[in-house]
Amino acid sequence: MTEVPKIVYDRLRAARLRRALPGGTAPEPAHPDADLLTAFAEQALSAAERDDVLEHLARCEDCREAITLALPAEDVGAAPTATDSEAARVTSSRAGVPAPHGLIFAWPHLRWAALATAVVVVAAVLLVRPGKLNQAKLPSVNPQIATNLPPTPGPQGASPPLPSPMAAAPTGQPAADRADGARSKSELRLSKKLKAGQAAPSFQAESRMLLAENEIADNKNESKDADKVSAAPSAGTRVLDYNAPAIPRVNETVEVTAASPAVETEASSVNVQMARNSTPAIAKAKPAPQTETSQQQNVISANVVELPLQARNMASMAKLAAPSGAARTRAFTWSITAGVLQRSLDGSKSWQDALRADHPLLCYAAHDEDVWTGGQAGTLFHSVDGGITWVRVQPSMKDQQLTSDVTHISVSRIDGHGPSEVVVSTTNNEVWSSADGGTTWDRK
Amino acid sequence: MLPCVKKVASIIWDAFTGYMPRSVQPGCGADVAIVLYERSGAALYGVSADQFAAILHVILCKYCEANPNSAHASAEQQADFCARLHLEELVLARACAAGNERAWQDFISRYRHKLHRMALHITRDGAHAAELADSLFADLYGVNARDGVRSSKLVFYTGRGSLEGWLRTVMAQEFINRYRKQKHTVSLEEQTEDGVQFAAAVLEPARASDQRLEAATDEALAELSPEDRFTLASYYLDGRTLAEIARMLGLHESSVSRRLDRLSAGLRKRILAGLRTRGMSHAQAAEALEIDVRDIQLNLRSRLAQDSSRKTFPEGKVPAQDTGEGSTN
Repeated sequence: MTEVPKIVYDRLRAARLRRALPGGTAPEPAHPDADLLTAFAEQALSAAERDDVLEHLARCEDCREAITLALPAEDVGAAPTATDSEAARVTSSRAGVPAPHGLIFAWPHLRWAALATAVVVVAAVLLVRPGKLNQAKLPSVNPQIATNLPPTPGPQGASPPLPSPMAAAPTGQPAADRADGARSKSELRLSKKLKAGQAAPSFQAESRMLLAENEIADNKNESKDADKVSAAPSAGTRVLDYNAPAIPRVNETVEVTAASPAVETEASSVNVQMARNSTPAIAKAKPAPQTETSQQQNVISANVVELPLQARNMASMAKLAAPSGAARTRAFTWSITAGVLQRSLDGSKSWQDALRADHPLLCYAAHDEDVWTGGQAGTLFHSVDGGITWVRVQPSMKDQQLTSDVTHISVSRIDGHGPSEVVVSTTNNEVWSSADGGTTWDRK
Repeated sequence: MLPCVKKVASIIWDAFTGYMPRSVQPGCGADVAIVLYERSGAALYGVSADQFAAILHVILCKYCEANPNSAHASAEQQADFCARLHLEELVLARACAAGNERAWQDFISRYRHKLHRMALHITRDGAHAAELADSLFADLYGVNARDGVRSSKLVFYTGRGSLEGWLRTVMAQEFINRYRKQKHTVSLEEQTEDGVQFAAAVLEPARASDQRLEAATDEALAELSPEDRFTLASYYLDGRTLAEIARMLGLHESSVSRRLDRLSAGLRKRILAGLRTRGMSHAQAAEALEIDVRDIQLNLRSRLAQDSSRKTFPEGKVPAQDTGEGSTN
């Protein structure tokens, strides 16, 4: 932690004294009462009240100490031994340096490290696996396309081949072995392994993902140049009508990639490159669609079991990244009336019900179109599109779940992009926080 | 039932903003508070609807006095305020204060053990914990009768936060008050012997450095939000851990860490800019800022050491101090 200049210490202290001394008659400023301090610590104050209390706390050491002492023990229901260890931890940290650098390998830190590792692993599996599966099927698809598709140019036939190693796979090769031979060694190994072991069983799982991809691509057809759309499917379907599951895959991959402005493709390497790029291409294409993106994602997450988290994150990322999204940010005003979340688009002149849950809602927090609301019995909803669609969120950690009344939510976005950081407080002093927009939760 | 909450709360608020304590008058306010009344379970403890309405009325008055702006708030916002109160705990506390036996039994069964655990958490010492918890219990029960009426501390609970949190805060304040009383009974010689803890805070600003540096720093600090100043004071003056500050502010530990980094860098930049506008050169300003930061580190360490040794401090020092002073005099 960087050190502040010494003068800052002096002036912070002096701020307290200035308030105490010049008054003369009232050396002690009026302290907030226990009620206010408690409500502050439980994040139950309005913004104005909270600022008043903070203003006092910044100057008043006694009140700061009272609040710290009054913090609930971290493990409320724990045995006395836990209380002792907590006391020992606090004492040792106070006796030493102020920053808890010595605790860097303590359990709370390792816990986050483990969580981060898990997220990385899951993300890697989700991103890499479809690519592997595509490779596994390539040998069966490629030669057929290759043999039946003589040098005739594909959809974007005029463009020259890319100088990438994958583009080196010749279109006219009749046999899978020769196509493999043109690839790098690592690809060869991978492809052989998959051919041997994983190709057959993974095909079923892959077909489900194909369905999802078809939906995306179908939606994109409407907003695309007609000639590109028509060219690609006609080539594929004419050739490969006896290999039904694979045909739409190749076609749709071409289309999705074409829809993405970031990816340049050419027909000669379509069979290899397009299929391999299918997943990243979908990811890259996400910012392109306009308002329907989130609904598409909802459909997909219902169909594809492996993808719900990724889909949700991507939906919100797409929302953030979409150039059109910035242009259409509207000024929402939110309010909770009688347990129902209401939304006003015209500066509080008229209100419409945005969300009515089965339990009364008690609080909300909004950051642009990122809206959270919570209520009794652990009710927690999240919307990334200003309240048009809602997702029920059930924070849980290990075997614990959020079940008590939610009394306060705060949402912030560090640096203005990326997933939001959410903190949820409850009546029984639980504080649940999520640093990744509600995907994973930590309970304090 | 829910639309009624809105209606009821707005009527209560109308009654209040008109400064017509209708809700207090029997027969008039009874239907007003009936829904919130049911939700609070006040009937269990023999609190009538009128009494309940009166309690809410007083709390709204207090809230409005403290926040003049809220007098113009909409009825919905006031309804929201009412709905957010911890009504059930509020009723329990007020019933205890009024001497309802059942309420008191419930209170004891719910909070007795918790109070002792809290006391142990605050004092970190078994004997002191028992003493603190017992004295708070006496205050809560209202042992000090005035004119034959018990005055229980529970009257001051207004339901803004949880009752358990309120008890913890009251106990922490009591603990600090006692500690301060103990500090006052310590002789001046002990203070000097013990070092900086009491005198330091007063003496420190006296040896002022450059006026321009002070002014620039004050200006930079004044530009910060109250939350930022609170974070700075907690971390650098009180030596709180990041985890403690994060829990107080309802943030994540890493957010506090990032904020402190941002604050310290920003402060340095702003102070330097302030010094330059006050006529210092860049080099002078940088030099003025760098005056021996280690001093303050030492000071902080001694403050922290004193903080953790406060339990044993009054008894341990007295004999040695007396003999030492006696011989020199």
